[in-house]
Amino acid sequence: MMTTGAAIADWCARHHKTVTAIMLGITVVVGALAAVSSIWPDALPFLKPITVDTDPENMLSHDEPVRVFHDQMKAELGLHDMVVVGVVNEVHPDGVFNPESLRQVYELTEFAKTLQWEIDGQTEGVVEVDLIAPSTVDNIEQGGELGVVSFAWLMPETPETPEAARAIRDKAAQLPFLNGTLVSEDGRALALYLPLTRKDVSHRVYVALQEKIAEFGGDNEYHITGLPVAEDTFGVEMFIQMAISAPAAMLVIFLLMLVFFRKLVLVISPMIIAMVSVILTMGALIIAGFPVHIMSSMIPIFIMPIAVLDAVHILSEFFDRYQATRDRHKTIVHVVDALFMPMLYTSLTSAAGFASLALTPIPPVQVFGVFVAVGILSAWALTILFMPAYVMFIKPQTLEKFGAAQHDGEVHEAPGLIGRLLKRLGRLTYVQAKPILMLSVIVLIIAGYGISLIVINDNPVKWFTPTHPIRVADRVLNEHFGGTYMAYLALTAPKEEFDAGTLAADFEAAAAERGAELNDELPEAPAIFAELAQIAAESTQGVNSRDEAFERIAAAVNARLDTATGDAAYVWDEASLFVDQQRQANEVFKRPDVLAWVADLQRALQVTRIVGKSNSLSDLVKTVHRELLLGDEKEFRIPNTRDAVAQCLITYQNSHRADDLWHFVTPDYRKSSIWVQLTSGDNRDMSHVADAIDFWVGRNPPPAGLRHEWFGLTYINVVWQQKMVAGMLQAFAGSFLVVFLLMTILFRSTLWGLLSMVPLTVTIVAIYGAVGLVGKAYDMPVAVLSSLSLGLAVDFAIHFLARSRRFQTDRGSWKDTAPAVFGEPARAIVRNIVVIATGFTPLLLAPLVPYQTVGVLLATILLVSGAATLLILPALIRVLEKWLFAAERPAGVTCSCVTCLVAAVAGTLLIAISLQQYWQLGWTTMTIISLVAIPVFAVTCGLLSRRGACRVETPEIGETA
Amino acid sequence: MNTKLSIALLVGAVFLAQRVVADETPSVDEIVAKTNRVSYYQGADGRAQVSMKIVDDQGRERQRQMTILRRDVPKDGQAGDEHCGDQQFYVYFHRPADVNKMAFLVHKHLARDDDRWLYLPALDLVKRISAADKRTSFVGSHFYYEDVSGRHIDDDTHELVETTDNYYVLKNTPKEPKTVEFAYFKMWIHRKTFLVVKTEYYDGQDKKYRAYEAKKVDTIQGFPTVTQARMTDHRTGGFTDLEYKDVKYDVGLPEEIFTERYLRRAPREFLR
Repeated sequence: MMTTGAAIADWCARHHKTVTAIMLGITVVVGALAAVSSIWPDALPFLKPITVDTDPENMLSHDEPVRVFHDQMKAELGLHDMVVVGVVNEVHPDGVFNPESLRQVYELTEFAKTLQWEIDGQTEGVVEVDLIAPSTVDNIEQGGELGVVSFAWLMPETPETPEAARAIRDKAAQLPFLNGTLVSEDGRALALYLPLTRKDVSHRVYVALQEKIAEFGGDNEYHITGLPVAEDTFGVEMFIQMAISAPAAMLVIFLLMLVFFRKLVLVISPMIIAMVSVILTMGALIIAGFPVHIMSSMIPIFIMPIAVLDAVHILSEFFDRYQATRDRHKTIVHVVDALFMPMLYTSLTSAAGFASLALTPIPPVQVFGVFVAVGILSAWALTILFMPAYVMFIKPQTLEKFGAAQHDGEVHEAPGLIGRLLKRLGRLTYVQAKPILMLSVIVLIIAGYGISLIVINDNPVKWFTPTHPIRVADRVLNEHFGGTYMAYLALTAPKEEFDAGTLAADFEAAAAERGAELNDELPEAPAIFAELAQIAAESTQGVNSRDEAFERIAAAVNARLDTATGDAAYVWDEASLFVDQQRQANEVFKRPDVLAWVADLQRALQVTRIVGKSNSLSDLVKTVHRELLLGDEKEFRIPNTRDAVAQCLITYQNSHRADDLWHFVTPDYRKSSIWVQLTSGDNRDMSHVADAIDFWVGRNPPPAGLRHEWFGLTYINVVWQQKMVAGMLQAFAGSFLVVFLLMTILFRSTLWGLLSMVPLTVTIVAIYGAVGLVGKAYDMPVAVLSSLSLGLAVDFAIHFLARSRRFQTDRGSWKDTAPAVFGEPARAIVRNIVVIATGFTPLLLAPLVPYQTVGVLLATILLVSGAATLLILPALIRVLEKWLFAAERPAGVTCSCVTCLVAAVAGTLLIAISLQQYWQLGWTTMTIISLVAIPVFAVTCGLLSRRGACRVETPEIGETA
Repeated sequence: MNTKLSIALLVGAVFLAQRVVADETPSVDEIVAKTNRVSYYQGADGRAQVSMKIVDDQGRERQRQMTILRRDVPKDGQAGDEHCGDQQFYVYFHRPADVNKMAFLVHKHLARDDDRWLYLPALDLVKRISAADKRTSFVGSHFYYEDVSGRHIDDDTHELVETTDNYYVLKNTPKEPKTVEFAYFKMWIHRKTFLVVKTEYYDGQDKKYRAYEAKKVDTIQGFPTVTQARMTDHRTGGFTDLEYKDVKYDVGLPEEIFTERYLRRAPREFLR
């Protein structure tokens, strides 16, 4: 009777034409559907065209609180993401403040104003009114005559003389919201800020600006940066990279396989499998309507090695065996039969490892995990089905000289260098088992120390290599300016629950007080103010909002005012004013104490040294106050009364850009935001600033019950990173458990299950230890690669252990088995390591750092997991031989009490981890549930293992558990 | 009736009508001069209670209430309505409460830059404000100073681009484009009253970005007067509504009110 694997291989080999036709058919259909729906979106109305999403913000789902808040505050304060154009002149003694440089700046500004496009019926692009440039901002200063305040454009036209050019610099340096923002503190550079209606036009703006700048001659250097540019440009370059890196990797893998197997016709098959898997997966992704995100763009790069891995196992085995029978059909059936189970399990575990990413709360990571899993499973199916069919297409003559020459049954002399080395390695692991294990433990301890050093950090600008124009711009501009990374600190007064009764009561108390105050001047005041309180109580009954309440009171008072005469008219006039004062009483951001606290908070920001500059409503008030009082530096302060603040603010609103005020405060004066410029976009630095402010606010309680909360792109990056780190960790723990469960079931033994987890564990610990020791930040690609190492390392372990067990059954002792395992199976592993590790070296040439990281880590993962498999596993088997092979019984998992219980506990933990992320249950609750669940499992397992079915199958072995 | 005769009469009538219309069409300069007078110089002086509602693109409203006093500076002792010369404005704020008593004084000069003073009661400060640039926001609204006090007719070249049933459409192009933010603006002038009912401002790309609209006209003391108006900023999507109440012409405002001294000591009797 044939096994499943052999039967499938046999059938496919027989019907090789049908199998191939079906595979090609499906591939063409999926590829065509994806392509047609993308190229002609209207042709297939039921399919969405391909959408590209390069926005890291989308690492968080749209309803994530921080994003909701970010969007809300941006809308309320009319803020936009900005492109920053820095202009530096290192040649001219006055820097950029010379007529020619400023002429270019003026021209570039005029050009930037026109950067708008019709997109989906909306005008998108640069927000002209909010553009910050010398010619678009106002200067407030003392006019020519003494005591005259002047609001005028900072640079209404290009200056004609060097003096006029320098004057622009000097004027801007006087204004806190321009100095360090528009004009660099060293007075040599300036920066234009181009707000965008939406982030995804930033690359278009970037390209247009560069074209314009190319027309300019002279000594000016232009640097374009800002997070939206970095993010959007990354997206564009990513797709260029995809078109280069992935094919280049394919080419290298192809050449390497050609070296190993020396048969072009055979080597093409893994290529076909990899290609078809990628087309199917990406096609499915597009057809399913998911956007291609930074994460999903990496799917091909993850699927390819795994697809090749399967095919190489088969090829390697086929290569080693073919000469024994010289029969394609027999050889391939035999090969597939031998590899069927290990391959099924390696694919299942890898797929499970990636699918577990679906448990992270990050949408793009979920999509990535699920589709890589789909890709792995389709690669497996293709390998099992298509490889036998493919082999049958090759003429026997072509295979004449194929494969290892010397064969005598199962034991063969290892051919070639790799074979000889592996043979020696096999012997070494047998003789030196204990030292090898000792060494491994030492490595693990060092790695553990390395892990403790890991710094979690990311910065989208650093996704570019140091020589990339965006990185250069980032460096140069942050040297000159207060920083080009924008974050905003929102300060919000607590929401007031409106209650007509409370309002009337408060109003009455205040009215009585005011009435008494006016008593001396106007004796009728107390009576009229008492009447006013009465009016307030009556007119606010049944009213639903504060605004409405005051509207009604004001209307009632104005009616009295119209009919009043004599002194009474004066008092009613005062009453009317009093009503409006009460209405304005909740405008907290006009309070001098609040503004003073904001100024102190800004100083605390400055102390972090990460914040180069911050702008707030306080700065604005102080500046206007100073200029109103003859520009005296001593008057650069918050005035003493609320009304004075209000009058400074209304003075400010007599400028060209009156609406700029509303970027700092909402018109109800209950929400404000501090514009914070950081010199670094590192998440670590942003977190540091946020922590410092939390600490400061803790010690300096805000007036008016203000709450502080961050928003802005730089902060959002921190939030999704934190989420990702935690999410990845849990997802990894989950996949670890899934793999362990599968292994325990595959080997029907806890011990073997644990053994198969060893290479994986060692690899992860070693890799992250190295990451920590080298000082590489734990960022997005590093986090995602843990899942890949899981897939690859467990693949090697399964092949190694499955074959070991099989050989052991035939040979009886590990001493005899080891050399066999270090034959074919070990060669397949080594070939895989070499092919894939080398295959991804083209990624190192990519100008995008995440791709380089993937390239380096991929190679490291393969090397380490290969080494762990070939060194530690045999050493462990040597040491544990007695227990590993002693009580072997081919019964079901449930027949061993221990195995069953361990599996059950692992399963419980898995569910607990998943639920914890979704329901946000505390671990305490989880522990209680587990405490109940585990005894239940124990009893169930005990009963199951003692059931009749187990006894019948394994009558000779008693329950040892 | 004889057909020939009636045709002749008809032709004659049409001819006559055309002549009359042609006669009635004044020159561009006449239109501009009349419009200027109707918009800013009706009566020897004037007073209005103005409420201002500033609305942004999110529908958030801010209110301001003020009294505006205007006095035409007479030429050779004559305060004739035909003379459109220098003017004086006194703007006194009532609301919001925190800017109560704040006041602006503007001396508008045709021959030189205006003089502008600002009184801030909370800082007890009278401040001269440079008025070199009149196209800045008037107290945070979408109206500019120039919209309140009037743009000098000699600053632009005027061109009659269209005459409709009701309106003369003038295109005004600045003589010094660098001093203003618009490339040109068009005015729709009512043919009978010479009131501006609509003004549209265009930028260098011929895009309309700002527009004024008279919403309501009342005849007060025989003068057709805009009593509700709106200025819209199409770039930001915000607008400001002005409402003129208790409009009065020829109040007899004394000259001395329009001096720095009266900023601190508001002329109460004229403000209520």
